[in-house]
Amino acid sequence: MKLYKKEGNILQVISFPTESAEKGDYLLVEDQDAGKALIAQVIDVQFAAVPGVLEELLRTLPDGGEPLQGEDIDPMEIAPHITYIQDASLLICKIRATLENGVLSPSSSWLPSRSQSTIKKLSVPMLMKLAKIDGKLPIILGGTKDSSLLTIDASAIDGTLNIITGKKGCGKSHLSKLLMVNLVGYKATVVIFDLNGEYTSLGMSNDGKRNMYYDKIHTLTPGQNFKVALEQLHLNTVMGILVNALHLPGTSAREFRRIWKMLKEKGKLNMQELGEEIRNLNCNQHVRDALASRFNSLANSGFFTDSLGEATMLDESLIKSKDQGGAIVINLKNTSNIDRQIVVEYALGKLVDSLSNWKLKAVFLFAEEAHLYLRETYWDDIVTRMRHFGIFTTFITNQPDTIQETIYRQADNIFLFNFTNEHDLDVVSRAARVDSETVRSIAHDLPPHHCLTLGKVVSDFPIVARVRALDIKTMGETRLFFNNN
Amino acid sequence: MVIEQYTITNKYNFPQPTIDTALPQRFLEQSLYSLRHVQHQAFQLNPQNLHQPTLTEQYPSSIQLKPEPIQIKADNQETLIAAIDTSTIKIGETSTGIIVAIRGAITWRQNHSYKYTRLGPFIFHITEDNKNTVYNTLEHAYFSTTYSSMHQSAPNLMQMPTRLASLLERWMQTMVAKTVKEGIILFDGSLTSGTIDTPTQRLREILSYARRNCSTVLAFSKATTLRANGILITEQLPDHEPPYLLETSGLHSKPPILLLGDVYVARLNRANFAFRLDIDKETNADQRICAMQKLVGNDLYMQSYPETLRLSHILCTFTANEVLAIKHFITRKHGIEIVNRPDMHRLLFGPFGKGEIYS
Repeated sequence: MKLYKKEGNILQVISFPTESAEKGDYLLVEDQDAGKALIAQVIDVQFAAVPGVLEELLRTLPDGGEPLQGEDIDPMEIAPHITYIQDASLLICKIRATLENGVLSPSSSWLPSRSQSTIKKLSVPMLMKLAKIDGKLPIILGGTKDSSLLTIDASAIDGTLNIITGKKGCGKSHLSKLLMVNLVGYKATVVIFDLNGEYTSLGMSNDGKRNMYYDKIHTLTPGQNFKVALEQLHLNTVMGILVNALHLPGTSAREFRRIWKMLKEKGKLNMQELGEEIRNLNCNQHVRDALASRFNSLANSGFFTDSLGEATMLDESLIKSKDQGGAIVINLKNTSNIDRQIVVEYALGKLVDSLSNWKLKAVFLFAEEAHLYLRETYWDDIVTRMRHFGIFTTFITNQPDTIQETIYRQADNIFLFNFTNEHDLDVVSRAARVDSETVRSIAHDLPPHHCLTLGKVVSDFPIVARVRALDIKTMGETRLFFNNN
Repeated sequence: MVIEQYTITNKYNFPQPTIDTALPQRFLEQSLYSLRHVQHQAFQLNPQNLHQPTLTEQYPSSIQLKPEPIQIKADNQETLIAAIDTSTIKIGETSTGIIVAIRGAITWRQNHSYKYTRLGPFIFHITEDNKNTVYNTLEHAYFSTTYSSMHQSAPNLMQMPTRLASLLERWMQTMVAKTVKEGIILFDGSLTSGTIDTPTQRLREILSYARRNCSTVLAFSKATTLRANGILITEQLPDHEPPYLLETSGLHSKPPILLLGDVYVARLNRANFAFRLDIDKETNADQRICAMQKLVGNDLYMQSYPETLRLSHILCTFTANEVLAIKHFITRKHGIEIVNRPDMHRLLFGPFGKGEIYS
């Protein structure tokens, strides 16, 4: 390989067919005299502009568009050399760091010697060693192209905002499961808003037997084993549900607040008394109707109960998870849009409550397709306010434009799977820790189950890895009509 | 002397009576021999396409163009059209000589499609010391029995590339003349003989092989200096619907130059181009017209120039990519290092020094 050009932080390197380099590979451009080296990542592979190639190609195509047929008697065997030159490639590389005396710095301000520099591929293990991508709490994400393992440190996900995105069926949920079980393995509390019920079997292995996480996975299905009593709720949480999820107008909200306080004082804060009080309310007809319809929504959700015995599951699960770690899977499958919002409003309120009272230290929240249940004002809440309470969110989506731009700007880690749509890549490339060329070029060509990891977990050295398999019962597969089984 | 054993495989698609592969075999041997003596030398890359010199057509200026064109009617009877061309390029210079590459191409049109066979490239390092050996060995390889004596003097160094290319071209023309039956054989250039490159007897024999196989040789020149009444013969085109031929008369050569063909001006289509065409003198008038009709009926002629011949030229020409590859070959296989000597024109005259080719 030969250094050809440097423009800004882009390097152009000439590579010959025997020196295979692909998108995502790292190169070490070493200038021995300067005592420094550049670490650059290949973000695109192009044909080198070899003079005469056009003529070479054109002269084989003059016969009405059909390739001209013939034989070359080439006794000196020059043809392989022609092919060698013709197939030379130009590697477009992004400079990631400068290595000087074993220390990495993000500088790309110096120019290595074009004639004297040696260029060689930098293996991922070597890169990880230089960038100190290791730690005491390793999570093996998967294998890299050079058959080494990509291992990140769980503490690099602690206190961070993460995004897992990619088009359908490329392995997003699989990666989020991998992160979850590893976090649980390190005794962390994980809460999952499970839209399709695909995390409910985290405790089962592929063969249907219980795995090591079985006792730590708590699946809560609203209306079934996940109910709340009004008595357990804080007024603010209920108001959040009514105003944000059920769109209760201001006047009616004030009236509800009055009823709530009155029932609480009487010690009669339950669904039956609340319904009775609304029915007998002597006020404006519209206000009464508004309150009655919201009450019916709450009652019909099946999420609320007057039996305290039925309403302890979330608390119990959080307590169980606190010391030994655990995943609380809130199964939102078969839950209507309104009910989903009610459940999420409640769960988030409960988490903030538990965290602010130091009942919990911190929670890793995994939110799949959050736009389907998260009200708009919660986005900023989650990434700013709730982070200080100890809610560290990972958003999982196949529609990157449903996540607000502010979220991308603050994301610490992005796990990017394949996207072919330019618009989707545009959105993702707004993330502060990502350069758009890398995202556009590498993510576009990622094979299924391969993930481009960007951000803090890889010390800002984007690395592509094939996400490793998990011995967990798969639940996220699309149900097919034309299925042989 | 130990010669590396490379072999030439006969791959021509023509009927193959007795193809003599001695010349290409010697080409290869001499190429390897010459390159062995340049190992571990430095050389300066300086690619220059070398064109085979157009014969200076110094004939008495009594040439006349007959005003009445000979109309050509396309004859679509399936006829094999074959064309031969060679190309040479100077790759660079060493302290003792030059490195050149030579390649030849035969193209033919049959069953409405074009096919080709390319021979080479052969790479030579030619020095004052080895030029006689290289040239005479090659001359001897093909023309030993009849024409050459082992110690005849070789051309000067700068003429060697084109002389070697001529040797290869004549050999390829001979092979085609020997193998193509009832076809049209297209040569690049004229049928002028008696030059150092083209001894009369050699060209005469090629034409004779073709006649024996009932084939006709048509030689197209891309450029001519022949003038009638002071005007180039290819620029005196009558207002007549092409394709047609214009016959010349009064063309006499000075010994030892001998014209083995009769000279015509050929305009094959409405494109405003015409070319000097030499047709074997020994063929009768009907056969000449018949050959032209078959050419027009079987080949394409986009710019009044036969496509088969155009392809031959294109296929043997060296592209910049190939020059780089040859450089890569001699560097890797023969350990020749490239050095960048300063360009004296640039060095002395700065922006006013345009380099050797413009000097």
